[in-house]
Amino acid sequence: MRKAWTAGSAAALVIGAAMWLATSVGAQGGGTIEAEVKYNGAPKVEKLKVNKDTQQCGTETEIDHVMVGANKGLANAVVSVPDAKGAAKAKAVVDQHGCKFVPHVVVMQPGELDVKNSDGILHNLHTYSTANPSINKAQPKFKKVMTEKLEKPEFVKLTCDVHSWMLGWVAVVPGLAAATDANGVAKIDNVPAGKHKVEVWHEQLGKMEKDVDVKAGQVTKVSFEMKGK
Amino acid sequence: MRATEALARGALLIALLAPPAAAWAQAGDANAGKAVYERKCAGCHGDKGDGKGPAAEELSPPPRDFTRGIYKIRSTANKVASDQDVFNVITNGMPGTTMPSWKMLPDRDRWNLVAYLKTFAPEVFKEAPKKLELPKEVASSEASIKRGKEMFEAIECNKCHGAEGRADGPSRPELKDEWGHPIAPANLTKRWNFRGGSSRTDIATRLAAGVLGTPMPAFLDAVEKPEDIWHLTNYIVSLGPDRPALATLVTVSAASGAIPDDPTAEFWKKQTPSYIPLMGQVIQDPRNFNPAIDLVAVRAAYDDKQIVFHLTWDDPTESKGDGKQTFPDAISLQFPPQITASTERPYFLMGDDSDAVYLLRWQQGKGVGEATASGPAKIAALDGGETSGQAVYANGQYRLVMRRPLAGKGESRPTFRPAVFTPVAFQAWDGGAGETGAKMSLTSWYYLRLEEPQSNRRFVIPPVVTILTLAAMILVVRAVNRAR
Repeated sequence: MRKAWTAGSAAALVIGAAMWLATSVGAQGGGTIEAEVKYNGAPKVEKLKVNKDTQQCGTETEIDHVMVGANKGLANAVVSVPDAKGAAKAKAVVDQHGCKFVPHVVVMQPGELDVKNSDGILHNLHTYSTANPSINKAQPKFKKVMTEKLEKPEFVKLTCDVHSWMLGWVAVVPGLAAATDANGVAKIDNVPAGKHKVEVWHEQLGKMEKDVDVKAGQVTKVSFEMKGK
Repeated sequence: MRATEALARGALLIALLAPPAAAWAQAGDANAGKAVYERKCAGCHGDKGDGKGPAAEELSPPPRDFTRGIYKIRSTANKVASDQDVFNVITNGMPGTTMPSWKMLPDRDRWNLVAYLKTFAPEVFKEAPKKLELPKEVASSEASIKRGKEMFEAIECNKCHGAEGRADGPSRPELKDEWGHPIAPANLTKRWNFRGGSSRTDIATRLAAGVLGTPMPAFLDAVEKPEDIWHLTNYIVSLGPDRPALATLVTVSAASGAIPDDPTAEFWKKQTPSYIPLMGQVIQDPRNFNPAIDLVAVRAAYDDKQIVFHLTWDDPTESKGDGKQTFPDAISLQFPPQITASTERPYFLMGDDSDAVYLLRWQQGKGVGEATASGPAKIAALDGGETSGQAVYANGQYRLVMRRPLAGKGESRPTFRPAVFTPVAFQAWDGGAGETGAKMSLTSWYYLRLEEPQSNRRFVIPPVVTILTLAAMILVVRAVNRAR
């Protein structure tokens, strides 16, 4: 019995050491993926008038379904390398600010998400998901932060029923990932050298994937052109 | 002897420890449930349990789609309803919706149905339901209700339910359920329509766990202190009666002074209301299967010249109408054109070609007027009457005063007389919900009675009777004493 235990712990130690080695080597010997996501179609932004909480929400607002920046760059797309594991930089946070979810797309690894309410009015976090349990929790003005668990990889839609225009997404992805900026560019650092599959996802335009060969210490560029559905 | 006693004790112990019959029954048989489902449920909920039965189209809220395993009414901390939750909904129905109570089915059948419903969403029911633990109960008191009101305002229940709980909050028009259907918030002053029951525990549970598949979120972690769930519950309970005491007769009181036009006047608050329930008009096209207005509170007073009606009803939107999807809000009182001793009354649905009715009505934007009708599509305004009135709309509620002379001018207007049982019926339209014309809420005939003017004789006759009785008693006692 004791022997088995010793052997087990020894094995665990070896595996642990190997993993530490692997990650540190990956970090040192990793490369960067710079993904450029383009969209040829027209942006889709819904404008509407606000009938309540105008102090916080303004009198007009918009729902950003498809945002296209300079050079047809597609914002709010999620670029991920599912097989490249790495520690998350910081805890994922989404804020409810100006009656919008900020950022529009949060990228996180399976785990915890902090949901802030800096508006100081009632919001209700209502998620639409299948892999993770759906959430519908009130977050009144005095509840500044709620912590929610999203443990399964999935693209989770965030809504608020009090302010029906509020729309956000949480990309729960197992590997390294980033969302594109206003110009459609996303950078992923510390990708282990070697061949990887790079995926891109957009809430309205769906998914694409490409193979890349990442070289240590170099920036590997990859570009996607999303097609309208 | 000892052995038998021990045996008897053992048997008693077993009997005491045995779970109640219901717990045994919980293991329903899905196959047997299927047979019941197909006979009783599929008409609305569909053969596949997707809520798309042949009758579904007309129903609002729509019948439940069981394939997603989302149950509104649950007493669990996770997303899975317990068997008992599903059983309770089948047993009690869903007040305020078209889902009736199925109490008439044997228990066995209902448990079998529970088992069968679960087979529509096997993935969801793989997870075991987790019992929701409510905070320690706080009894209702003035202080608790006050705290509940504070919390109601702090957590902004008004956003959907309205400042006074009449479902008129600013987010109301935007609300959708998980299937994308528009959904109305609950009117918190009409507890008897709460889908999941109106007991304090029911209300606290809905607050704590939310209503799944709807915008109503869970508030258990969203109040300042856990017991606030109970303060809120106590406040909500204070907003309205358990259920309205429905009237069978409207009494018109005899007023000694002026009868005010202002619907908010103290005079009207002192009058006892008669609560009249309304139903959707489903006899003629276009039918109204989902009436918006289900209750009118009627107060009335008269003097020697005029009769004045005061009506109160809930309507979440004050609507003047765009003429396409929305219409002006309206209400009318209906009487026979002549009040006779005959028991024959015109057809309750606004009369017909042989017998017309008289309408005293109010419409948003137009005010009070009179009309004669021989059916919902044959209404003609009566001009030259001396009607007046005033309406006030606030916090999801109309209050209206309508005034007219006691004596009716001409053949089409009734004359009101004290102590006569006068037929009366009601019709109401929530124009904001698209109600107009035959699409209305209505009642059949009720009776209205003008109470006889109270004379001062009631202050004279009883004392006189008392004195005479006393005198008679004294005389008798004396006579008896003398006879001795």
